[in-house]
Amino acid sequence: MPVIPARLTYAGGHPDAAELAGRLLASQTLLADTPEHVVEVVDVLYSYGIVLDAYSRNLIYQAEEQFLNPFPIFKFLDGDLSAAKIWRHLIHDRINFEYAEYCMKAMLWHGTGGLDAYLDTEAFLANCQAIIRRKSGRDPLLALLHPLFGGFLPELIRTAATTHALGQFWRVMSDLFVDLGQAEAEGRVRSIPEVVAFLQQGLVAAAANPITYAVTVAGERFWVLPPEAGLTFLVDVAVPYVEAVFLRGTPFLGTVSFNAQAQQISPDQSQFRYGALYADPLPTMGAGIPPSLLMQDMYRHLPERLHERYRHSTRGEGDVRVKICMSFQKSMFCVTNAAINGTFPHPLDDPTPLATAANRAYADAWAARLCLARTDCLDASKQRRA
Amino acid sequence: MMLTPLLLIPFLGLVPLLLWPASAPAGRLRAVAISVLALQLLWSLVVLVAFDPADGGLQMVENVTWLPTLGLDYRLGVDGLSLPLLLMNAALTLVSAVCTRDISQRPRIYFALLLLISGAVNGAFLAQNLLLFLIFYELELIPLWLLIAVWGGAERAYAATKFLIFTAASGMLILGAFLALALLTGSLDFSLTPVTSERLAMGSQLVLLGALLVGFGIKIPLVPFHSWLPDAHTQASTPVSVLLAGVLLKLGTYGLLRFGLGLFPEAWAVMAPWLAGWAAVSVLYGSLAAIAQRDMKRMVAYSSVGHMGTILLAAAAATPVSLLGTVFQMVSHGLISALLFLLVGIVYRKTGTRDLEVLRGLLNPERGLPYTGTLMILGVMASAGLPGMAGFISEFLVFRGSISAFPLATLLCMVGSGLTAVYFLLLVNRAFFGRLAVTPPTDPLSDARLDVRPIAVAPREIIPATALALGVVGMGLLPAGLGHISEAATTAISQLPAVMTAIGIRGGLG
Repeated sequence: MPVIPARLTYAGGHPDAAELAGRLLASQTLLADTPEHVVEVVDVLYSYGIVLDAYSRNLIYQAEEQFLNPFPIFKFLDGDLSAAKIWRHLIHDRINFEYAEYCMKAMLWHGTGGLDAYLDTEAFLANCQAIIRRKSGRDPLLALLHPLFGGFLPELIRTAATTHALGQFWRVMSDLFVDLGQAEAEGRVRSIPEVVAFLQQGLVAAAANPITYAVTVAGERFWVLPPEAGLTFLVDVAVPYVEAVFLRGTPFLGTVSFNAQAQQISPDQSQFRYGALYADPLPTMGAGIPPSLLMQDMYRHLPERLHERYRHSTRGEGDVRVKICMSFQKSMFCVTNAAINGTFPHPLDDPTPLATAANRAYADAWAARLCLARTDCLDASKQRRA
Repeated sequence: MMLTPLLLIPFLGLVPLLLWPASAPAGRLRAVAISVLALQLLWSLVVLVAFDPADGGLQMVENVTWLPTLGLDYRLGVDGLSLPLLLMNAALTLVSAVCTRDISQRPRIYFALLLLISGAVNGAFLAQNLLLFLIFYELELIPLWLLIAVWGGAERAYAATKFLIFTAASGMLILGAFLALALLTGSLDFSLTPVTSERLAMGSQLVLLGALLVGFGIKIPLVPFHSWLPDAHTQASTPVSVLLAGVLLKLGTYGLLRFGLGLFPEAWAVMAPWLAGWAAVSVLYGSLAAIAQRDMKRMVAYSSVGHMGTILLAAAAATPVSLLGTVFQMVSHGLISALLFLLVGIVYRKTGTRDLEVLRGLLNPERGLPYTGTLMILGVMASAGLPGMAGFISEFLVFRGSISAFPLATLLCMVGSGLTAVYFLLLVNRAFFGRLAVTPPTDPLSDARLDVRPIAVAPREIIPATALALGVVGMGLLPAGLGHISEAATTAISQLPAVMTAIGIRGGLG
């Protein structure tokens, strides 16, 4: 039996935890700084920005206009019920909003951070009761349902709150990613460190943005996430989002064994490692692989420069969604990089031993998680020489 | 003169190929060979149209006395048994030529040999004289040996020599049986007339039939004469494997029916229970050996041993239904095994390996070979006898026709048929499901991160396999066409033993 030709496979390297922690502490980027990476990351994030814009609008529309609608069959149409729009939806000439819902469900299910904590408070439940009372007066189905299953409608409101919060988060990220593409086109961003710095600035600038959510039921306005809850962009939504979608995620049918008895999936949710940074790009477009939806959406809005590059590598158009997924993973490492840089407990140039030790511990904790991720996409060996 | 063109087209077609200047590009030679083979297929279809299905006897007979002192006549004829095989030969040789790509050395000789084989096989199926049959039977041997020995894999010399020794022995046994028949009956009549016990004692009949059984058993191949086949398949290139499995093995089963059952109906009836037992052993051995293989091509080759064994079972039973089943099984095995060898060839060309311990996840939609995998699943389902495809209808007829005659052997063959699902599910599960990989797993963590980049299968590369897959499904959904062509002939053959007995009784009384 002949040996498999080496040209059929590519191994991207596998940096260990110490190397990753060292890079974080030395203010180096995780992703190797090469001109190809700049194009990949900037262009993929640009198309992601366009898609996130649509996701964000739809999530906010769903949370506000389809609130407690028992049969939300038109929820993906953003309120446009024209025949042309419905036809385009039916022939699937549309954005796959199902992926946005999938991310929302991951956030809701993993439930970390301030938003989730608030959803379990007395204040939130009191708001829910007021909303349900008002809504039940107009809706006999809900009036029947609520006494029978008391936990059902509050859970739907929690879902709506997470949906709205994710919509607000992606609103900011969408603008940030589109601005990044603009900045690169204008020559303000030229390297991976500059990309990471740009993203970090954007996150820091939006960090304290308040996250609020109100619904109007029968002409009366109710707070679901009131300003006095004090929820903010970075700590209460962005960090839980990164935890749920980038790191933990959920296992996809067909890529991970579902033998629960053998504990091939950890019974401890916090040990989940199925998120975007860990996911295998190769099964993209296989059945039951939700990111395929995102890759398809991004494919429809791919900048010509990156598309042209994809056409001339591996199978050209044939495996373009796998290539988008690989580039996307690189860009997500940049976003994670920016988030870690922005959340170090002390400035990295602070020389005091206490600050250095705290930063070291913080970097080590991240590196311990990331060294098991798909760091092969970082191409550590291709680091551009200074 | 309906049948002679089936010999003239390939034999004359190879002349321009050989006369072409050596500098001619392989693509042009391939085009010439494809045109000749297309013409041959077209003429086979003309014969099909002219064929009268209601007539169970020989049709379009051509008879020219050639060497009367030797008993060699140029006598051709076609019936419902040989016509489907002629069509298969025309179609599968064309498929072989079409799927020949990137041929680097001696393309002139290569395509000329393909045509020579095709013509010889046509001749063997049409010959109605024992010596004429033997000439064609031996004629395809050397070209095939060359095709394996020159254009084969790394171990081709061993495999080709083994093939040559086995099949030469097969030819000698058959020649010996034919000559002994002339010697013992004292006549130089090599025409295909059933031998009665009036002309030859039962003991001599059994010996001659035994020689024919071993001779054709090597070609089919039946256990224990099968060991040349897996080696020949693994070392042969894809088009040659297609020819070998799809057409050349059928010479063995055709010979068994035409000369074993056709010449010695009485002895056949005596030996039938042993033959059924032999068939069951062959089917079970082939299927169990297939389970143990890790080379995809060897697995398909052993499955051939299993499936060809069922033809012996049906021939032993010799009921009208089981003999119709033999024709169906020959055609369906030809289509399915050709399809599977084509697909294994594509996998090998794209990944550089056929090792089931190495290949994984080839159904991956973007980076794998999804369409090839889809056809492979269809092919193995057909081979395992799932309804709606060719394998089901042929195995159903074989088992339905044989179970009343040999219940135990038939049940054992059914187990072998069930084992087909076992080994082909192993094949599909290992090579096509899971995460895409074409490397032996050493480090689970880093192997799970490997970016695998097999080259995509171009649409034109998959056309032959698609055509065969359509044939497999078409025959499964509309089997009546083939049944219509063959039924009269197979019914006539099935009545031979009874007719012979009747003649024998009358002769005894007279």
